[in-house]
Amino acid sequence: MATIFPPEEEQIIELDVRTDEMLVSMGPQHPSTHGVLRLVLRTDGEVVSEVTPHLGYLHRCAEKIGENVTPIQFIPYTDRMDYLSGMNMNLGYSLAVEKLCGLTDKIPEKAQVIRVIVCELNRIASHLVGIGAYGLDLGTFSPFLYAFREREMILDLFEEVCGARLTYSYVTIGGVHDDLPEGWLERCSKFLDWFEPRLEEYHTLLTRNSIFIKRTAGIGVLPRDMAVAYGCTGPMLRGSLNREKGDPPWDLRKIEPYCGYEQYDFEIPIPPFREAPVEAVIGDAWHRFYVRMKEMEQSARIVRQALRKYETARGAHRIEPPRHLPPGEAYVETECPRGQMGFYVVGRPTKESVPLRVRARSSSFCNLSVTHEICRGCLIADVPAIVGSIDIVMGEVDR
Amino acid sequence: MALGLPENVFLANLDKLANWVRANSLWPMPFATACCGIELMAVGASRYDIARFGAEVMRFSPRQCDLMIVAGRIVMKMLPVLQRIWLQMPEPKWCISMGACASSGGVFDTYAVVQGIDRFIPVDLYIPGCPPRPEQLIQAVLDLQEKIRKTGTLAGREFQQRTQPNIPQLLPAPPSDRIVAPGDYTTATQRWPGDDRSSSSCSRRPLPQVN
Amino acid sequence: MPIAPSEVKWIDERTLSPWDWLYLPALWEGLSTTVRHMFSKKVTIEFPEQRPSVPPHYKGVHRLNRDEQGRVRCVACYLCATACPAHCIDIVAAPSPWPDREKYPELFVIDELRCIYCGMCEEACPVDAIELTTLYDLTGFSREEMLFDKEKLLAVYDYTVNKGTDAIRTLRGTLGPASEILEQQSAPLPNT
Repeated sequence: MATIFPPEEEQIIELDVRTDEMLVSMGPQHPSTHGVLRLVLRTDGEVVSEVTPHLGYLHRCAEKIGENVTPIQFIPYTDRMDYLSGMNMNLGYSLAVEKLCGLTDKIPEKAQVIRVIVCELNRIASHLVGIGAYGLDLGTFSPFLYAFREREMILDLFEEVCGARLTYSYVTIGGVHDDLPEGWLERCSKFLDWFEPRLEEYHTLLTRNSIFIKRTAGIGVLPRDMAVAYGCTGPMLRGSLNREKGDPPWDLRKIEPYCGYEQYDFEIPIPPFREAPVEAVIGDAWHRFYVRMKEMEQSARIVRQALRKYETARGAHRIEPPRHLPPGEAYVETECPRGQMGFYVVGRPTKESVPLRVRARSSSFCNLSVTHEICRGCLIADVPAIVGSIDIVMGEVDR
Repeated sequence: MALGLPENVFLANLDKLANWVRANSLWPMPFATACCGIELMAVGASRYDIARFGAEVMRFSPRQCDLMIVAGRIVMKMLPVLQRIWLQMPEPKWCISMGACASSGGVFDTYAVVQGIDRFIPVDLYIPGCPPRPEQLIQAVLDLQEKIRKTGTLAGREFQQRTQPNIPQLLPAPPSDRIVAPGDYTTATQRWPGDDRSSSSCSRRPLPQVN
Repeated sequence: MPIAPSEVKWIDERTLSPWDWLYLPALWEGLSTTVRHMFSKKVTIEFPEQRPSVPPHYKGVHRLNRDEQGRVRCVACYLCATACPAHCIDIVAAPSPWPDREKYPELFVIDELRCIYCGMCEEACPVDAIELTTLYDLTGFSREEMLFDKEKLLAVYDYTVNKGTDAIRTLRGTLGPASEILEQQSAPLPNT
């Protein structure tokens, strides 16, 4: 069908090329969706006008299972919610059950210190995977190799403590499962000595890499008010705060300390950063990434203090967990690597060993809910850069 | 050499040659959904470098792959995706079911989780563990290479039986003269008369009769 | 969210000096990193030849311990099967042929594929009968093959004890601290 246009009209058509909108399904099996997230992109050419996340590709009724097993039996399930930071998830559920049973003040000091050590080490390991996989999303392979090199060392330390590499079930109700083995403290501090100079390598590889800056700076800007409105937490929120405008460094370890975090000296890194490139604006993917890098430094600082504290800590590593749950309810939020992870436990009115209700408030779920706002109007190539900077774990979103 | 060939000419059975090629260049399709996916990433990283066995080329496009590593739990909503990706992979293809959740559902015995992907796609090798160690996955790749070398044919005749998935079968009522051969932990649990695998030195006690 | 014109920040492209245009400094920097890593210590573990050292309380394949007379220690109390979150332990109890206990397991099957290796069974066991060993490189060609029955679990015990990697370490249901395990390892192993 050849239509003959007059020359001037042809010009107009050439300038005003309109394509139809297209729905692109990204995922659930896509390398840069961190598991099984499915994003339906409504695209107009290269520009994404709408992003709809579809969930449920990893739903496995973990909360319902929690109503049928005893709290100690549920600890392995919390490992498998956020599998990158099993220790932190174990801790969150343990704290909730301890609060329900009124054990919070009875946990010995030694158990608290061990909990802090393993949780902060796990935060480092989790952020290492986060930045390594973020590099993979953006098409650079070497940061992944470097990050996993350090992560394997942390996993070796964990393996010595609890005999597992990824799903630890180490922090349990009433303390931690085992005491630290002999010589572990020296090996841990040796690792920290080795690790802290390595952070500079990551800065060379990613933070100051001009390609990385071009892919992340100014992309996916999340304003502070929107982050608060959507309930974003963790590095997602902290990347959007501005210290100069008087925003508080929002971290539960500072604001509502648990496990004795108030006794440690550490900072919560929030923007503005001196090292930020000129292209970066507060709240973009680069800032979220850089907050994670800074948090690893602070975690290493906390671990160093906790290692010193362990030598003088009193008490046992574990107290006898309660046999029955009292009636009532408890809700505890802890600061996981991805944000505030809350656990809600309700005891049955009759004294029984299984809870009536277990609920998890997932940080990744809230962080993911903001995707459609910050992805609107970006290019298709920027969608992996934005989703990767959220650093989601789908096991935690779907539960 | 009897034919008087020069030294640089390589004589081989064509089947064997094809198997040798296939076994040493497995291209995995990482179907990573959960925790095992992180260990799968660790296998590709520097500590356990799966490139030593020619299987590092992780391709997320199923049409380029011949080994599917299902790592993590498969839920009912994900299953059509898994089946579709499996069908998109060209023959010859193999499947490793990595971890407890993919192999049998693991701890998640609920309505949502598939209790073993072998009910839907054929599985060549199972890896227990939750998640398995990276060494276990490397061992599985080695075992699979062994299997390919032994059973593979150029025409892919070994896949002709794969018309339906191998659902775990109920064990048949054992014959009365069944021998229980514990062996070491890498061999099969029980064997029937006529099965001439080497027995071990462990003490053996017959199982009670099952009617 | 539409971007207001006031929020748009214009950034000039960095201009390269003639020396930078050659890209030789950048090439040199990159290659020096490569060469440095070529001669640094290798991190790769050559797995089948070079076995990693796992801690003595690693949670690997199960075993059923024997007592001093070579009998199975298990008394078929079902505590491990109850504590197991994955319900992978299947026990059939029968009256014991020995005078020192009431029951013994006629059948004791662990589905290794369903197990999640959390170690709750060894924590629950009152007689230190079930334990997790340091064997980690288990794979199987079929699901039936991965059902470990009593004979096989006892064989794992013989194998690990003969290998000398796993001492009996649980102490009447209370798992000792990991620091004590290394001391116990030096103690003579039973049944060797």
